Amino acid sequence: MAGQLIQVATSTVTSAVASVTLTGIDSDDVYMVAMNNVVPSNDTQLVQVRVTESGTPNSTSNYDYAFKQMKGNTTFSNGSSTNQSAWFIFSYTGTGANESTNGLMYLYNFNNASEYSFVTVEESTRTNAGNLQGNQGGGVFTSTSSCDGINLSFQTGNIASGTFTLYGLKK
Amino acid sequence: MATLEELQVEAAAEIEAAKPLFKQVNNERLEFSDADYAQAVTDLANSKWNDQQFGYIQARQEAYGSVQDQLDMMYWDKVNGTDLWKEHIDTVKADNPKPA
Repeated sequence: MAGQLIQVATSTVTSAVASVTLTGIDSDDVYMVAMNNVVPSNDTQLVQVRVTESGTPNSTSNYDYAFKQMKGNTTFSNGSSTNQSAWFIFSYTGTGANESTNGLMYLYNFNNASEYSFVTVEESTRTNAGNLQGNQGGGVFTSTSSCDGINLSFQTGNIASGTFTLYGLKK
Repeated sequence: MATLEELQVEAAAEIEAAKPLFKQVNNERLEFSDADYAQAVTDLANSKWNDQQFGYIQARQEAYGSVQDQLDMMYWDKVNGTDLWKEHIDTVKADNPKPA
């Protein structure tokens, strides 16, 4: 079936780990990462995202991003930064009841060694303050390298639980 | 106010105490490599630095309340001859001080 999503890799965290890596990007197609019910071990954490090269996360200062923060309880705001060591596009979440991050990332040009790698992000989070926040934005990894996957973690502490799946597009 | 170097030492001690740490690669659970541990120290130190230097910004944004609510406070201050909005802002700033 043309346009069908096919699962490339998945990780279900049921016992806490510090990071999750999904690899298997080996074509110039657009890929998608789905994150479901991602919960940190420590309160007030946001997911940080890095590209992987040959399975190893790249933590150089080549991550730029910008996003809109749509908040259910107060005025919308914006976030942006350049030359960071990861993308910080998601909302802070916590360890309270029903607090988690859920979202989709689309990955562009990852396999192409002569182009920058781009992501778009849309997410829905119950924050560490118990409020609804949805972010929408994008990021670029400003290095012309071939990236084979994505690495996700919190800046502090473990990922307590969550499901992470990398999809490709079947032609 | 801690320096970044001091926070790196603090972060290294915390990561050492937290060992072993694990990563999940395509659903396979593996212990961190030396490089992973080194990156975890860097990330933790940077997080502590950002919280120390810039954490007050998000804390103030959360505590100020919406623009609509603040405008409503200003309106009723005008009507009632009170100073509640300024007192609210003063409290938020005092509770979340900007680092020196």
